[in-house]
Amino acid sequence: MAQIPNLDNAALNLTALREQSQKELLSIIKSIRGKKCLVIDPKLAGTLSLILQTSALKEYGTELRILSADPLQTECPKVVYLVRSQLNFMKFVANQIKNDESKGLQREYHLYFVPRRIVACEKILEEEKVHQKLTIGEYPLYLVPLDEDVLSLELDYSLQECLIEGDTSSVWHVAKAIHKLEFAFGVIPNIRAKGVASTKAAELLNHMQLEDPVSMDNMGIPEIDTVILLDREVDMVTPMCSQLTYEGLLDEMLEIHNGSVEVDASIMGAQQDGKKVKVPLNSSDKLYKEIRDLNLHVVVQVVRQKATSIQQDYAEVKSTNTQSVSELKDFVKRLHSLPEIARHVNLAQHLQSFAAKPAFHARVEIEQIILEAQTYETCYEYIEEIIQKQEPIETVLRLLVLFSLTNGGLPKKNFDYLRREILHSYGFEHMPLLYNLEKAGLVKRQESRTNWPVISRALQLIVDIKDPENPDDIAYIFAGYAPLSIRLVQHAVRSGWRSIEELLKLLPGPHMDLKRVRCLDH
Amino acid sequence: MSSSVSVAAEWDLLSDRFYRRITIYSPLPWSSPATTTASSSGGGSSGVGRLDLSTHIVAAAPFGGPIAAVRDDSKIVQLHSEPSRRRLLLFSSSGHPLASSPWTPHLPRLHSLAFSSSLNLLALLSDGSLLRFRLPDLNPITSSSPVPLLPPASGGVADAVFWGGGVAILTEDNRVVVTTDIEVDDPHPRELADPGVAEDEQVLCMAVVEPQFVMSGSPEVLLAVGDRVVAVDEDGVQVLGEALEIGPVQKMAVSPNGKLLAAFAHDGRLLVIPTDFSRIIFEYECDSALPPDQIAWCGLDSVLLYWSEVLLMVGPNGDPVQYNYDEPVMLIPECDGVRILTNSSMEFLHRVPDSTTLIFGIGSMSPAALLYDARDHYDKQSAKAYDNYQLISSSLPEAIEACIDAAGYEFDVSRQHTLLRAATYGLAFCSRFPHGRFQEMCKILRVLNAVRDPEIGMPLTVKQYKLLTATVLIGRLINANQHLLALRISEYLNLNPEVVIMHWACEKITASAAIPDVVLLEGLLDKLRLCKGISYAAVAAHADNSGRRKLAAMLVDHESQSSKQIPLLLSIDEQDKALQKSIDSGDTDLVYLVLFHIWQKISVEKSAPLDFFGVINARPLARDLFIAYARHSKHEALKDFFLSTGRLQDAGFLLLKESRELERNPMASKGSPLHGPQVRLVEQAHRLFAETKEHLFESKSAEEHAKLLRVQHQLEVSTKQAIFVGSSVSDTIKTCIVMGNERAAVKVKSEFKVPDKRWYWLKSCALATVGNWDALETFSREKRPPGGYKPFVEACIDAGQKTEALKYIPKLTDPGERSEVLVRIRVDTAC
Repeated sequence: MAQIPNLDNAALNLTALREQSQKELLSIIKSIRGKKCLVIDPKLAGTLSLILQTSALKEYGTELRILSADPLQTECPKVVYLVRSQLNFMKFVANQIKNDESKGLQREYHLYFVPRRIVACEKILEEEKVHQKLTIGEYPLYLVPLDEDVLSLELDYSLQECLIEGDTSSVWHVAKAIHKLEFAFGVIPNIRAKGVASTKAAELLNHMQLEDPVSMDNMGIPEIDTVILLDREVDMVTPMCSQLTYEGLLDEMLEIHNGSVEVDASIMGAQQDGKKVKVPLNSSDKLYKEIRDLNLHVVVQVVRQKATSIQQDYAEVKSTNTQSVSELKDFVKRLHSLPEIARHVNLAQHLQSFAAKPAFHARVEIEQIILEAQTYETCYEYIEEIIQKQEPIETVLRLLVLFSLTNGGLPKKNFDYLRREILHSYGFEHMPLLYNLEKAGLVKRQESRTNWPVISRALQLIVDIKDPENPDDIAYIFAGYAPLSIRLVQHAVRSGWRSIEELLKLLPGPHMDLKRVRCLDH
Repeated sequence: MSSSVSVAAEWDLLSDRFYRRITIYSPLPWSSPATTTASSSGGGSSGVGRLDLSTHIVAAAPFGGPIAAVRDDSKIVQLHSEPSRRRLLLFSSSGHPLASSPWTPHLPRLHSLAFSSSLNLLALLSDGSLLRFRLPDLNPITSSSPVPLLPPASGGVADAVFWGGGVAILTEDNRVVVTTDIEVDDPHPRELADPGVAEDEQVLCMAVVEPQFVMSGSPEVLLAVGDRVVAVDEDGVQVLGEALEIGPVQKMAVSPNGKLLAAFAHDGRLLVIPTDFSRIIFEYECDSALPPDQIAWCGLDSVLLYWSEVLLMVGPNGDPVQYNYDEPVMLIPECDGVRILTNSSMEFLHRVPDSTTLIFGIGSMSPAALLYDARDHYDKQSAKAYDNYQLISSSLPEAIEACIDAAGYEFDVSRQHTLLRAATYGLAFCSRFPHGRFQEMCKILRVLNAVRDPEIGMPLTVKQYKLLTATVLIGRLINANQHLLALRISEYLNLNPEVVIMHWACEKITASAAIPDVVLLEGLLDKLRLCKGISYAAVAAHADNSGRRKLAAMLVDHESQSSKQIPLLLSIDEQDKALQKSIDSGDTDLVYLVLFHIWQKISVEKSAPLDFFGVINARPLARDLFIAYARHSKHEALKDFFLSTGRLQDAGFLLLKESRELERNPMASKGSPLHGPQVRLVEQAHRLFAETKEHLFESKSAEEHAKLLRVQHQLEVSTKQAIFVGSSVSDTIKTCIVMGNERAAVKVKSEFKVPDKRWYWLKSCALATVGNWDALETFSREKRPPGGYKPFVEACIDAGQKTEALKYIPKLTDPGERSEVLVRIRVDTAC
């Protein structure tokens, strides 16, 4: 049950990419001799678990700690901070150093920024008067393979930063990450971008190629043909909908982090109660690879069928003596998949206890109604009711955003009323949240007619799924709604933006279709 | 083979090896023709005329480097037409003046001159201080005042030995001071262990084993004291070779590989011994017991001793070779021989290479000699050429190789030609010989011939060139302002011309003080464009340092790398441009760099932060980044910014944030009057929201928030329970009902105009929580609930009371809803 995904089946040599990151990290650790305490920020700790076994670090005399506002507890004479270059972490680092000093502890401090040093962070360290005490370095981790077909930038707050704070650091980060990828796999000849940030990232990428060119001569044919960049802003609808595939439900109910979920041991059939276990979820698990994108009830069928067939085999093995050794070997091989089957039986059962609830059905149903954008009153009253019932605020806001997006906003009276109901039900501390949602255009006052029906029709977002067990359209994953972003990608792959230019204009931000040709010297 | 004979006739036999003296440059002009006064600073060249080695302190750099000289004022000199003031003179190896500058008067006496390995000129003064000069114009490095190397009261310099990276100084009071970083600003001299020279003893001579040859990596200084030799380093003193009984040593020289020592003993013996003094390798008894003026190694095979008018070359076996000179001589050791500088010529003395011996050796019948001969016949259209070929056909590759190799050792261009032509004759018959070898040698010779030209004056041999490397040679050329040649060589050898063009551009700027910016810029750009990826920022930085800020600004515009361009823009005070460029770059880190720079400047200049706010407010990215940063560390500045730029709502939210922080603060314990400040902050925020037109909702909400805090505070006082502050309106109502305080709940309901629909949800939920089913039923009968009986049903189901729920299910109006709830009860039972 390795959490580090197996990447052997990846289309690109992601293993090399990951090994590079491993090597860079270990060389940092090795460069600091003797016993040391490695302090990682909480998010990064999860990310690193996708790159190497953190226990491997112990071989180099390393103790591991998670960065927090509390003083650092360690006996090590050397402290190595490994943190993402975020302003809020700097105060933590400064406080820990100051705390050591107040106790008269003499330590050697190193700070490695991930992925690069940032003037603003160092400024805070200067203001806190600890900058001089730190030896500063960089750990250029830009992309992390989450699975054999997914690379993650691990930028949790980029949407908030871009849409609300106006901080576009992540756009540069995206461009840089792709540029780094190009050093390994060649210059990507086609770029299709949609949205303000994506087009900007494409521009930056082009500029980086000018400043620090990836040589096109000795690379041969580029391994990546096209990069499609979409702003999240282009499709805010999809993430508001309840996910219904096996993997989607796992995420909805248990939250997948860094390719694994944490569940009570009792759910996994273990005896110890109250203990949490980590269950890795990636394509290294053959069964999971097969069922992750299926609907829950199909998953149950598949898993049951597998279990039954093993059972039959077992019965056969027991009843007859005629089996050859090779047949027996086959059977034993299949037995090896039993733990996998058991794991998914447990998880699926756990999910079903949620998914079978009427409240869940009601929510999926109302989402469908909202997406069809036909009956305003029903939706409005439903949302009003769940606010007044004080259902979890995340549920409320997801539906409200979905409603506002598909309806082109809410009439002022309704808008103010619902907002007031939210503040009354959940507390006035949510005022900035509502303000930010408005600023980001996610929940807003209605100013013009909605173009959602046009978009929905043109891209065939609402599809009637005839055979949910053998679906022929991606829409099955949301019970009849095909994610807008996926439709865009389908178009981008098939024919580029040209065929849907008019439609793209209805979505936020400019679009760009770029061909990068081999630039000839002189 | 007549031609070959004449070549070998010039050789001298030392034991079984031939040596030859090649005259490279003669006569040496020492002054340039009036037309070429390119780089020498004004007036110098006319005064030069002739350099007399006997009356000057002279230094010459290895690898065919330049020659520096200052008149030795300890000697009586007849001044001819020269000015009486001394000058520091710089010549190429071919005797062409490169520069001169007046020697600063009233300095302590000059002890010696030397060149460092990166060709800075070093002048050691008798008080132990050091002057350093940069080539080609002899400008003093760092400061014009000398850098002291010796501790005070050491009595000054008695002797000193330089090497490429440092110097070892013997002081008058017999201490040894060494520096190994002679090029850096602070040479960091350190004293070695006390060599232990007794009062009545004298240090006879000194030599240094350079650090690269010593295990410890620091130099080892050899001193001949009395009849012993001691090795001094940082850790201690070691007496060497007592068993060898050499007696007092008058002169020493360490071999080029640091392994051997040539020592001239007081009895006229020349001894060659390993530097660890383990044994005597050979010794030779000279006619004179008088110590030689100079001693030097010629390669690793022989030692040169120079007494006035006599130069003696001693080898391990056989009779030495004697050369006579009627003028003073300076020996300049090279890795593969010795250059001999006289007043009138520059010679190179070296062992004749094996390949040359094979070809030109008297009576040589080697394949190489035959091949050389064959070419001669071939040119004379004689059939003997082919006869020769047939004789050597089996060993043709060696013969070709020897011809190519020998060509490399020749200074004479026509002889290079003949040798290479001989090689090509062989190549025609020999396809298996690697052709690249021939081309490579041609390339090397082209480069060598170009730099050996008297105008350039770098008499490098092929071996020296390979050791020096092409890159360093190019560096030396550009430092001598030979940019065109350097560029040609770079291009010819496929090296990146960036370093040449960059240097040229900087020199051009320095030398063009009178040329207007626009004209100069055009000239610079013309050349800079030749080199892709060249750093315009570096050239611009140089322009700025040369006091040409405007030119710098124009140049930096052409820099494509923002990370180089922006810091420079800041350093030339182009803040606005820097800010704009950083925003264009999309790299927020660069934007921050500029922001902090401007912020810093403003706080230094004490100009109002309003200027800063004005600058950033016009640029959204800069503004937003400043806000993001200030949120973490500069709340007050941020508030000022919001207020001064009319963003009252943002200031309002900032106040709300502060109020929440107060709430979280454990000091503000609940129910205490400390809620006062929190309420005040919320009220302030309310007023700020109210001042804007667009934030009516926020304004009302803040007002309600403040009201709620007050109400909750009162509730906490009246109930004596600190459970209200921080909860929502709905939760406050629920808590009241749960506590059985219906009246308070109703009061909150009316004060906050809670809609009936919500009231029904809240109250039924709260009553079900405490299991007050009677009250719930009474409540259901009060009036027809505005949203129907759903709240009652759900409250009962959620509390697990199905029987209670059944009371209300029939009252649900929507039949769909009714059946759904019934299903749900059943489902729940099933679970």
